[in-house]
Order: sequence, then C-alpha cells, then structure tokens
Amino acid sequence: MTQFISKKDLLSWLSQLLEDRYLVAPTKVDELTLFRQVDRVDDIVFDFDNTTLSPKEWFFPPSETLFYVERKDGGVELIPATIERETAIFGIRPCDARGMAMNDYPFLAEPADALYRQHRDKTTLVGLACLTTRPECFCTSMGSGPHDPANLDILLTEVADGYIVQVLTDKGKALLPDKLITAADVSPPPVPALSDVPSGDISEKMRRAFDDPFWDRLADRCIHCNICSYVCPTCYCFDVRDYTDKERIERVRSWESCQSPGFTRIAGGYDPRPTKGSRLRQRFAHKLLYFPEQFGALACVGCGRCVRACPVNIDIREIIQDVQQLGVKSEA
Amino acid sequence: MDLGEQIRNKAKELIEIETVDCVIGYERATDGVGARPLFAYKPEEVDRLIFDQTCTHNLAKYLLNRKDKATAIVVKPCDSRAINLLLNESQIQRDKLFIIGVACPGITKTGLNNTSEELQAACQICQQHTPVIYDFLVGEPPASEPDIAEAYADVAAMEGQSAEERRAFWEEQFSRCIRCYACRQVCPGCYCTECFVERLDPLWVGIRIAPEENEVWNTIRAFHLAGRCIACNECERVCPVNIPLSLLNRKLEEEVRELFNFQAGMDAETPAPFATYKKEEVFPEIG
Ligand code: SF4
Ligand code: SF4
Ligand code: SF4
Repeated sequence: MTQFISKKDLLSWLSQLLEDRYLVAPTKVDELTLFRQVDRVDDIVFDFDNTTLSPKEWFFPPSETLFYVERKDGGVELIPATIERETAIFGIRPCDARGMAMNDYPFLAEPADALYRQHRDKTTLVGLACLTTRPECFCTSMGSGPHDPANLDILLTEVADGYIVQVLTDKGKALLPDKLITAADVSPPPVPALSDVPSGDISEKMRRAFDDPFWDRLADRCIHCNICSYVCPTCYCFDVRDYTDKERIERVRSWESCQSPGFTRIAGGYDPRPTKGSRLRQRFAHKLLYFPEQFGALACVGCGRCVRACPVNIDIREIIQDVQQLGVKSEA
Repeated sequence: MDLGEQIRNKAKELIEIETVDCVIGYERATDGVGARPLFAYKPEEVDRLIFDQTCTHNLAKYLLNRKDKATAIVVKPCDSRAINLLLNESQIQRDKLFIIGVACPGITKTGLNNTSEELQAACQICQQHTPVIYDFLVGEPPASEPDIAEAYADVAAMEGQSAEERRAFWEEQFSRCIRCYACRQVCPGCYCTECFVERLDPLWVGIRIAPEENEVWNTIRAFHLAGRCIACNECERVCPVNIPLSLLNRKLEEEVRELFNFQAGMDAETPAPFATYKKEEVFPEIG
C-alpha cells in the first residue's frame, strides 16, 4: 500500500498553505520556469522539467541585507536582519534537494551563517519526483536520482488523478495534514534512466590533473561570465559591501563567482589566480576535489543547469570524462 | 565542397606553413547537434572544424586574448563587423590576422539539443550576407542583398506602447537580471579593463542584484554600445533569463543611423560618431 493524495486535495492543500506562509513554486515567466512566491495556486506550473534558476535563491538570495548599523543616543546600534515568516517550497526536484543539503556544509558549519540558518529552519521542502528528464540531467551519477526522497520533507510522485505521497520528516508531517492522505494501491511510475558520467574516483584524478595544460586549453573557449555559478544550486560564493548614508549603514551580500576576473584580486593588485585557466579550473576543482576533501561529498548534484546555460558549451560531464583520461595518462 | 571542408583546407594550410599559430573556428558541441568555439593549434585539431547554420558564436571577441599572436579566425558577416570595430578602436592589429569569411546562410535558433530550422530573429532581417572584411571567402555570396522594409518592426512595436507600458515591461525584464555579465563578456564591444559596474571609486552602481541596480547596469551598458554595437545579437543569445537586449541595442542603432548615417563596423576607417567632434554638429531637439 502507498499513500495517496488526489489532485483536487493537493490543490486545496496548497491554497491553504497560502494563508499562513509564503508559498514558493515553479511559475512560467515568458519562456522560463522560475521559482516565484505565488499568491494563487493557479500560477503554479506542474508540468516542467526543471526550473531555469535553482531553488538556492530562497536560502541564499542573489542579494540580501545582513544587518544595519544605526546611530542611536550618541552611539551606534547593530540591527541584524531576521526572517520572520515560514516558507514552503513546492516542486523541488531531487537533485536540487541534494544541492541544498550540500550548501548546508559550508553555511551551517560552526559558526553557522545566521541568515542561512533561519532560511533553512523556516522552510519546508515539498519535492516532485521526475517522470521525465532532460538530456543534460546526470543526477544518478552524482549521488541522487529522479525519484530520490533524500533531503526533502515530502516527496510527491505523480500518478493518474493524483500523487503518491512520502512524508519524510516531522516538518513534512506538520505541513501536510493526515486527513488529506489516503492509503491506495497504486504503483509508482518507472524511474527514468539517465546516461552515466564517470564520477568514481574523480577527486583523485582532479588532484593529478591540477597542473595539466588541459585547463588553459579549455579556458580558450570560456568567456568568464558568471552564468554557471549563478544557475548552479551548489555554488555559494558571495561578495559583501556596505551601502552607507549619514544615519545608517546597510551591509549587503550578493552572489559572486570564482569566474569573475577580479574575484581573487587582493590589496596591492596581486591575484593568485591570474590566468583564465586557473580560474576555470577553480570551479571544477572546488566541486570535485576541495569540497569533497573538506566535507566528504562532491559539490555537483548533476542538475545539468550549467551545461544547458553555458554560452560556449563548457560541459562538466565532458570535463569529468576528460579528467578521468588525464589521470590514466599520468599513471602510465 | 561544403563550407566546413573549405575552412578545414584553408586552416590546415595556414597552420602547416605557419602563417598563424591558431585558427579560431567552430566544432561540434557535446549535444551532437550544435556548435561551439574551437581553438585549433595543430593540423589534427583542424580536422574538427565545422561550419553550418548552428555556428552562432561571434568569435571576434576572442581576438582580444590573442592581441600579439598571429591568428586566423572564421567570421560570419556580423562577426566581421566586430573585427572592423576592434580595428577602428585600435584594439587588434590587422597584420596579425587572417580572416576566413563565410558567406552566411543565416543561423538557426540554437540552444542545447535544439534542432529548430527556423532562422534567428536577427538573421531573418539580415541585410549583410557577405563579410565586410576577409582574406579568404568561403560560400557563395548572394547576387544582391534582400530589401527588408520593416527592419525595425520590433523597435516600432515597442515605441507604439505608452511610457507606462514600456516602463512596466522593462522593469519586469530587468528585475530578472542576475548580473551574470554574460552579455558583457560575450560582446566584442565590451572590453574595458575595468567595467563601470565593477568600479569602486567613483561608485556608479552598488553590488546588489536587485531591480534598481539592474536597471542602471543594463541601461548604461546599452548606452556604451550606442554607435558601436555591430548587431551580432550574442548578448541576447547568452542571457540566461532571456532579457530582450536586442530591443535596446536596435533602438540605439536606429537612432545612430538616423542622426549620423552610421552603422558600426561596416569598415575599419570611418570614425565612430561618439569618437568624433564636429563643430557644425547641433544637438537635435528631443521631442
Ligand atoms: S555544477 Fe552544473 S550540473 Fe553540477 S550542480 Fe552545478 S549547475 Fe548542476
Ligand atoms: S546576460 Fe542577462 S542576466 Fe546576465 S547580466 Fe546580462 S542581462 Fe543580466
Ligand atoms: S551589444 Fe550585443 S549585439 Fe551589440 S555587439 Fe555587443 S553582443 Fe553584439
């Protein structure tokens, strides 16, 4: 027996959620699918492959105020930003749920990032299993899969007239009332197959490929925009700047990327990553070598967004394959 | 002989007799249907060169990374205008360049795994099917260029809207911008060593990725390309959130054509309107 919710009950549940929390869900904006905060269930799209941008913007927004400093009674007062309201994100894909779990490693390592912590605590993740995939998807090679329930609070899998429900955490339980769920004898749809990307042992191969001219050659083509970092669910670099006026300072952080030419430039003008090749290598070395060394997991979840959005076809799947070969060559 | 084969033959000759040490062209992308830039240094790499209607990238931007190195480059007509722009602005040297021009059949709407046969919007109204500068031409240039009456139909449609409608439209578009700077990075006309957007002193625009800052970013970039944009439309192609940047660029292009009878990159000599001062020029009345 599986647990089941009808399409009609799902819709009324989602409209109930609107009453006491933000509901974030995939919506159509021109030809894009974007997670947006919705005010009506009618704006939600249910039939989408994956969103153009990842759900990370709801935990680590493109820009966010960290705190204010204000003049008060002859002194100054620091006012931290706080997140008041609960949020439910509907329609998260399994790869992206894993992506959010990957971001927990750096952001929640002590001392935890206070704002990220609040976003995480106040958000419940309702996943949607993938019935179809895109040609760029490779989640099964990166520790997840089209029907993977890990790192979600609830997973829904679409079947005729409704969804199979898996309530996975206490947060999920609190969000979805028992009375809406019935027991039913429906079998889940088949898990779509994906082609393999040879990620096994990739960290060691990356280490060996560090000084290979491969990176400079690859960087010939790279235009060093920030698309790959900004569409990626697990890229988490940012820059911090103060917006100041007479009475108040506002400290703001915004997304930044290791691909920007000035990213590692320091006082005096020195840049430890001065070449295009060293910058491009950083993105892949971080995901496939440094992050696993530090936290024990690869920091790519195989969502395929960077593959899809790169203007010049820098394709992480091909890079993993090529680096495996470089490793073989240097062993010989 | 198909276009790819003509390019490969020429490229091999150039590499073998060491006229250049690199040929910048196109190869097949990982989706098996699209194209991507290729830097070929060796004869066996030259074998990977292709040309077909998926070869959308304007490769001229890459010349800025090879300023002092002898380079051959494959250009479509719009891309060839970028070479003129860069020569005109003294950014590259003609004697370091070997230009393989392609008489262009038009580029189809591209994107990963996309096999659409429909031409891109810019190609549907293209009036320049032969490169404006080249050393070696492949393909058959058309006997005459098409006469396109409604070349600025998209701009006219935008101008047909009220100021409020236009504001609402652009506010929505710019609010989506994630300031990835892909439009800038891909643009042959954007080569400042320090872009205004990254400048701290004076601070032109803050780091926030938010509607107000995005609007400043997008409009100033558009103005910096006035009379310089060569209409390759790469900026719009690469934008990950589909902001119709061509509308801004084409509006400015139309203005510059009307006021100065000038189109960027048609030759390498005519001084650009905003790089010239003529005493007799009067500021037009703005209605
Ligand atoms: S590196 Fe690319 S495929 Fe991997 S998680 Fe990031 S965007 Fe997705
Ligand atoms: S490419 Fe698009 S999203 Fe990126 S900075 Fe330019 S306009 Fe903004
Ligand atoms: S502004 Fe856009 S269309 Fe114009 S030259 Fe730059 S990339 Fe090409």
